[in-house]
Amino acid sequence: MHSSDPIALETRDQSTGPGPDTPATPLTFEIRNLSIWYGEKRAIDDVTLDIPANAVSSIIGPSGCGKSTFIRSLNRMHELVPRTRLEGKVLLRGQDLYSADVDPAIVRRRVGMVFQKSNPFPTMSIGENVTIGLRLNGVRDRKFLNERLEKSLRMAALWDEVKDDLNKPGTSLSGGQQQRLCIARALAVEPEVILMDEPCSALDPIATAKIEELIHELKAKYTIVIVTHNMQQAGRCSDYTAFFYLGKLIEFGATSLIFSNPRQRQTEDYITGRFG
Amino acid sequence: MNSPRHILGTFDEALSSLRNNVLMMAGLTERAFDRAMRGLFERNDDLCANAIADDEEIDQLEKQVDKEGVDLLTRFQPVASDLRRVVAAMKLSPNIERVADQATSVARRARKLNRHPPLTETELVEPLYALAMSMFKDSIDAYVREDVPLAMAIIPRDEELDEMNATVQQQLIERMAQDPDQLRGYLNLIFVARCMERVGDHATNIAEDAVYAAVAEDIRHPMAEAG
Repeated sequence: MHSSDPIALETRDQSTGPGPDTPATPLTFEIRNLSIWYGEKRAIDDVTLDIPANAVSSIIGPSGCGKSTFIRSLNRMHELVPRTRLEGKVLLRGQDLYSADVDPAIVRRRVGMVFQKSNPFPTMSIGENVTIGLRLNGVRDRKFLNERLEKSLRMAALWDEVKDDLNKPGTSLSGGQQQRLCIARALAVEPEVILMDEPCSALDPIATAKIEELIHELKAKYTIVIVTHNMQQAGRCSDYTAFFYLGKLIEFGATSLIFSNPRQRQTEDYITGRFG
Repeated sequence: MNSPRHILGTFDEALSSLRNNVLMMAGLTERAFDRAMRGLFERNDDLCANAIADDEEIDQLEKQVDKEGVDLLTRFQPVASDLRRVVAAMKLSPNIERVADQATSVARRARKLNRHPPLTETELVEPLYALAMSMFKDSIDAYVREDVPLAMAIIPRDEELDEMNATVQQQLIERMAQDPDQLRGYLNLIFVARCMERVGDHATNIAEDAVYAAVAEDIRHPMAEAG
């Protein structure tokens, strides 16, 4: 991270505070009265939420409830959709991601994203896929790039499987490996947060288990926010769970409580399969 | 249970079957106890034999509840109130089965007592039975209706039952000293009284599980947690 970053690490405030439903742990995101519109359609409706650091928070809810819009607003990716409008605040370690002097590209470097479908760059090798973020940021030092390549692949639990095939195309890997390659690519630029939008929905149970194990290991260093339709996955992977419905945050709390004794009837009906 | 219907009708059916088997166990247990106690009070060996025979069906139902509970957990991975209902059913059934075992024990003791001249002290266990059975019935009602106040009210009644049992036991021990020829009979009555005390313990367990199923609160061992 360069010191010229408008939201560089050393200026970040390790804010803490009691969220409405979270313990007083360090917070990565403080989201205040967030509303997002696509044209006339309000996708997110007045959401206030604290996301604790070094923990996994899952976002659950039925299709169209605003999960993906919400998670994309955490690194400003929703802005790629035309006619988007946002109100409210998203603070990343105390700094407003939407203030006028913040470069969205730098936000996305601090807040990495892994998508539903693995998307390695098809013309690039495994190694190039991992280091592309650094190279696009002007890093040319071969030794540094190789070190970061190995470190990222090790963190993504992929190194042992691909270390002899780094020059092969990224698309030559299995679906689960490709998804871990995408995680390695996100890790290579050393983000603070990893957003995952249904990262396992296209994977078989074994590949899913590997990603889930990886998520568990990564939370020691990163804050992870994961959107999932798989209730069992939310239960297994996450420390906190947020339930969204019709763009509103219905309930946020410790996953163990949400899945054993949610406070809101709508949450109970959704997770027990009585919705609608 | 006032929950709206599950999207998966098969889940509602499976949960309903599980619950019905628990209620069937409870109903058969009440009947077995009624037969055992009438066998004792009316000195009727046939009723005692019926009570003992009922136990087999209750044992089979306990296994069925376990099987259906595990199937439900495996197939549907229920959460929240659904999970609590399955867990509660699986925890209730061994308690009900043990209440049925007490009915069998009473029936066996009654058959032994019936071989000898009647003891007027038999009536001492009647209030114990009335209290123990009312606790058992209320605990099942609390489970069915998810009625927390009714479940909570069972806990202090167990202390009352323990005290009544201690008093009856003392009276029977005194009678043993006064009338050693009837020692075996009084001993059998002491065991019958102890069966009632155990029924109260199981009713308390059921009430605790009913509270957990209803509101996810673990009310067991409050003193241990406070300490």
